[in-house]
Amino acid sequence: MRIVVCMKETPSTEVSKSLGTDQRLVRNPTETIQNPFDEYTIEEGIRQFEQHGGEVIVLTMSPAQTDTAVRRALAMGVDRGVVVSDPALAGSDAVATGRVLAAALTKIGYDMALFGQASADAYGGVVPSIVAEFLGVPLLSFATKLEVAGTTVKIQRQAEVGYTVAEAPLPALVSIAKGINNSPRYPSMKGIVNAKKKPVETWTLADLGIAAGTVGTAAARERVTGSQAVSTQRRREIHVGNEGAAQRILDYLIEQKII
Amino acid sequence: MDFTLTDEQIAIRATSRAFAEEVIKPIAQEIDARSEFPLAVIREMGKLGLLGLPIPEEYGGAGADFLAYCLALEEIARGDAAVAITMEAHTSLGATPFWLFGTEDQKQHYLVPLARGEQLWAFGLTEPGAGSDSGGTQTHAELEGDHWVISGSKMFITNAGTPISGGVTVTAVTGRRSDGHPEITNLIVPQGTPGYVVGPALKKMGWKASDTRPLNFDQCRIPATSILGQRGSGFRQFMRILDAGRVAIAALSVGLAQACLDESLKYARERQQFGRPIGEFQAIQFKLADMAMEIELSRLMYYKAAWLMMRDEPYTQEASMAKLFASETSKRAADQAVQIHGGYGFMDDYPVSRYFRNVKVNEIGEGTSEVQRMLIAKSLLR
Ligand SMILES: Cc1cc2nc3c(=O)[nH]c(=O)nc-3n(C[C@H](O)[C@H](O)[C@H](O)COP(=O)(O)OP(=O)(O)OC[C@H]3O[C@@H](n4cnc5c(N)ncnc54)[C@H](O)[C@@H]3O)c2cc1C
Repeated sequence: MRIVVCMKETPSTEVSKSLGTDQRLVRNPTETIQNPFDEYTIEEGIRQFEQHGGEVIVLTMSPAQTDTAVRRALAMGVDRGVVVSDPALAGSDAVATGRVLAAALTKIGYDMALFGQASADAYGGVVPSIVAEFLGVPLLSFATKLEVAGTTVKIQRQAEVGYTVAEAPLPALVSIAKGINNSPRYPSMKGIVNAKKKPVETWTLADLGIAAGTVGTAAARERVTGSQAVSTQRRREIHVGNEGAAQRILDYLIEQKII
Repeated sequence: MDFTLTDEQIAIRATSRAFAEEVIKPIAQEIDARSEFPLAVIREMGKLGLLGLPIPEEYGGAGADFLAYCLALEEIARGDAAVAITMEAHTSLGATPFWLFGTEDQKQHYLVPLARGEQLWAFGLTEPGAGSDSGGTQTHAELEGDHWVISGSKMFITNAGTPISGGVTVTAVTGRRSDGHPEITNLIVPQGTPGYVVGPALKKMGWKASDTRPLNFDQCRIPATSILGQRGSGFRQFMRILDAGRVAIAALSVGLAQACLDESLKYARERQQFGRPIGEFQAIQFKLADMAMEIELSRLMYYKAAWLMMRDEPYTQEASMAKLFASETSKRAADQAVQIHGGYGFMDDYPVSRYFRNVKVNEIGEGTSEVQRMLIAKSLLR
C-alpha cells in the first residue's frame, strides 16, 4: 500500500506571531515546525505502513527554505519526501493549495492519503475536502481510529455520544483527528542520522502541469480584509468579608443554574 | 569562524529537548525523593538511540558526531542530572572504550548491546585510596595460566549495579614497567563473574537516582583475553577516555546551569514583592544576566573542545577548561537560583533546591576542579 501523508509547515509555537501589511501571518521560514496536528497523521501513516507494508511518503507544499519538518518526518520513519515549491504559490488560498496537492498526489500515485484535522496557523480545516473534490475520491474526515482491510478503509469518528463508523474503497483520503491519541513517536537518533540519506524531491508548478495563474495571490478567492485581536471579558462579582460567604457563593451558583 | 550547527545536530538537540521536557522532567522530583533508578526512562532512551549516540551504526549506535552527543547530554541534563549522568557514564566511560580500544570480537560481543541501550556498562578507576591520584591504583591482577585473577576494590562506580548493568571495565596493576612504574591494564569484568561483588548503592547528596556503588574483587577470574587493547596501555587509555568525558561533563553542567536559569526567569516574572515582579529589581536582573553570560561562555567552551576533538586536534587543555568553568558555572547558577527563589528555593517542592544539591559533584567527578587547574597549569608550563 502506498500511503501519502500531507503535512504543512507552520510557525514554531515558541516564537511570537505578528501580522504583515497584507493582514496575513508573517512567516519566518527558518522558524517553522511540523504542524502539530500533522504529528498524529505522520504517526498514523507510519503505523499503517508498519502493519501493511508498502511505502509511506510525506508531501508538503512550502516555500522550501528549510526542510526541517520534512526531515523530521523522515527521521520518524517515513520513506521519502516530496516538496512542492514555486514562487508563484505565494498567497495561495485553500482552493489553490487543494489544487496543488491533488496534482501532486496524482503524480505520486497513492492508495491512501492522510491529512491532519486542520493546521495550527490558519485553522481552516477545509483542504482535505477540497483535495477530495479535485480528485473525485472519497474523504473520510476526522478519524479517531483507522483500519485498512483489503481494499477498504474504515474509520471511527467521535460523535457527541459514541462514534460514527464510515468506510470507503481505496484509493481514499482520510483526515485524522487529534483525538486519535496515537502518541506520535520521537524521531530516533538513528532515524535522524539516516534521514539525510533518504530522498526528497522538489517539484515546481511546471512539474505538475499547473498554470501559475490558477494559484497564488492573483487566483485567490479568499482575501483577508482585516483582523482583530480576540478579547475576552470575564464577568465578575467581588464580595468583601467572610460574613455569609458560603451562602453567597451558594446563592450565586443556584442563580446561575450551575447547581 | 562558523558556529552553525548541522541539521542533524539541531534535530538531535530538538528531540532530546522534547524528550527531557515531556518524559524526564515530570519524574525528576519523584525519582530524586525516592533515590530510585529510573529504569523505564533509561530503557526508552536506549530505544531512541540516546545511549549510543557517538557509536557507529555498525556497532549498534546512532552514528552521530561527538558534538551532537554533547548537545543531547546538555538537554537531558536540563531535564534531570541523575538521568544525564547515567547516560554520560554509560556512553563516555562504559561504551566508548570498547569502541576505541576493543577487538572486533569485543565490539560485537560487548559494545553492540551497550550502544543499543539494552545494557549499561561501568568504568571503575577510582579506589578508596586512589581518587585524584588515579595512577595509584592498588587493585591488581595476576596472570594464572589463561586467566587474570583480580583482587582489590573500587569506589563510587556509576552504573555498576542497575538492573541492566552488563559489567565493568576496571583498571588494575598487572605488573611493573621497565621504568619501575606500575603497569596498568584495563580488564573487562561481566556482571555475575565469581569473585566480583557489587556493593550496596551509596547514599548521596545529589544525583540520587543514579547508581553509584563500591565494588570488590576477591580472586575474581576472567579469561586472559578479557583485556582492553594491549597489556599495560591502561593509563594511556583512561587519560584519553577522561579527556572526552570532561567535555561531556561540561555539556552536562551547562544543562544543569540552564535549568537553574529557566526556573529563575520564570520565578522572576511571577513572584511579586513591593508591588511588582522581582524581575524588575536590578539586583535580580544582574544575577540573571551573569547566569546567562556564564552559561553561554561555558557552552562555547565545550563546543570548542568538541570541535577540536572532532578535527583530531589536541584538546586536553580545552577539555579541562570547559569542564572546570562549566561545573563552577553550574554551582554559581544553582546558588543564585536558590537566592532568587528566597525561602521557597530552600523547599524540596521547588526544583532549584534539587539543582543546588545536584551541581556540587560536577566539581568532583571525572577530575576535581583542583585536578583540572593542575592539568591546565601543567600544559601552560610545559
Ligand atoms: C557521584 C559520583 C560518581 C562517580 N562515578 C565514578 C565512576 O563511574 N568511575 C570512577 O572511576 N570514579 C567515579 N567517581 C569518582 C570520582 O572521579 C572521584 O571522586 C574524584 O576523582 C576525586 O577523588 P576522591 O574522591 O578520592 O578525592 P581525593 O582525590 O581524595 O581528593 C580530595 C581533595 O583533595 C584534592 N586534591 C587531591 N590531590 C591533589 C593535588 N595533588 N593537589 C591539590 N589538590 C588535590 C582534591 O581536588 C579534593 O579537593 C564518582 C564520584 C562521585 C561522587
